[in-house]
Amino acid sequence: MPSTAWSERTLSYQCTRRCRPRVSRATLGAVEGVRVEFRDIAKRFGRRLVLSGVTGTATPGKVLVITGPNGSGKSTLLNILAGLVRPTRGSVRYLLDGQELSKSQWFRLLGVCAPDMAVYEELSALENLVFFSRVRGLALPQELLEHHLQVLGLRPADLRRPVGQFSSGMLQRVKLAQALVHDPQVLVLDEPSSNLDSAGHELLAQLLTERARRCAVIVATNDPREVAWGDTVLELAA
Amino acid sequence: MTLEKLPGEIRSLSLLRESLTVLRKELVSELRSRVALSSVGLFALTTLIAVAYQIGPYRIHEQDRPHLHSALLWIILFFAASSGLPRVFVKEEDAHTAKTLRLAARPAAVFTGKLLFNLLLLLGLEAFLVPLFAVFMGFAVKNIGAFFLVLAAGGLGLAASSTTVAAIIARASGSSTLFVVLAVPLVLPMLVFLIQGTRMAATAADWTAALPALRAVLSLTGVTLVTSAFLFPVVWHD
Repeated sequence: MPSTAWSERTLSYQCTRRCRPRVSRATLGAVEGVRVEFRDIAKRFGRRLVLSGVTGTATPGKVLVITGPNGSGKSTLLNILAGLVRPTRGSVRYLLDGQELSKSQWFRLLGVCAPDMAVYEELSALENLVFFSRVRGLALPQELLEHHLQVLGLRPADLRRPVGQFSSGMLQRVKLAQALVHDPQVLVLDEPSSNLDSAGHELLAQLLTERARRCAVIVATNDPREVAWGDTVLELAA
Repeated sequence: MTLEKLPGEIRSLSLLRESLTVLRKELVSELRSRVALSSVGLFALTTLIAVAYQIGPYRIHEQDRPHLHSALLWIILFFAASSGLPRVFVKEEDAHTAKTLRLAARPAAVFTGKLLFNLLLLLGLEAFLVPLFAVFMGFAVKNIGAFFLVLAAGGLGLAASSTTVAAIIARASGSSTLFVVLAVPLVLPMLVFLIQGTRMAATAADWTAALPALRAVLSLTGVTLVTSAFLFPVVWHD
């Protein structure tokens, strides 16, 4: 299992358009990247106020952990930060070198793994990854995608099986691979180690430590081991 | 890194190739699950057999046949299509893959890929149903070329309107009922011209007879496609 190879391999964005430059993430500075600033976020579902007055920043090179009891709005806040849900009040800004990004630019730089974000069950793990990289406009070689899945703990024999036949832990690994395949600038993870065994949890911790050097990471969790990953911890009240 | 060098903006594949990736995924998923194919095919076959059993080729006066046959053909095609075409978006919501797709793919690629899939499904349905309809109902056509053009234009028109409505209703509960309610006013004018064009192709060998109806169908399809191009990104993201 090539689990130690993660940090040795750097995804590069291969460009088939001749007019476009080839950019490797290795050329980027260690803490250069996208900042997410959110201010006074409130969210109401009908009469129920789920979030109120939540303010914070996710910075490149740091892990922001969002914690709080069930129903405190962790997943809602992640959805708002990802741009998938509009807040009732407050603002979220995605900044790169002080310049605000549009939603489509932001989506390209974002990797999300959440319990309510599935991959296609009829497709194999490899087909899923090929699909998600291609719709993101990336022409990544199949060997790299196979390697990517193996780094996340999937056996070579499992790569071509429909993910509908996978266990929940294996499925979680495919979802993590999908979130990481385009080497995102901001990584948003909701309960990332749910369904993972202890080896999977260790792998995730290693992966996050490596990723957090290069991008902003936002994790929503109640697991004390995951809370310990945070450079900043934002605790939401019930 | 500057905005000009955003990795997300480095698109190695064109919009067309991203759309074809979505189409390929739809085809592979459908060939493995066969849900839309079964529902559309079974609906079409059941309706055709019921109509053929009750009306048959000889229970209508010869003069009335082109009128009634043209109407019956498009009624069967439309309702058979209604049973399978909305699935392109509804299944994404049901399987929780919509969010993942929303973050990964450009709205235009999603819409085009799903439109092409629905078009292929409709053309397949026409290829399956029309010969059977001709045999069971004794449906004769004088201008085969014009008839095929009407079928192709109808396929594109119904696919365009069905895909747009499917995107709108996907997140609503009771989406299949809502689909028919919303699709009928959009599709009704198109169906009127399609029936007219089919009747003209059945009764007149002259090409000019079917042209006005064909022109009207193509115009309505064009309007639907242009409207969808503006509407879909809003529907998809909000």
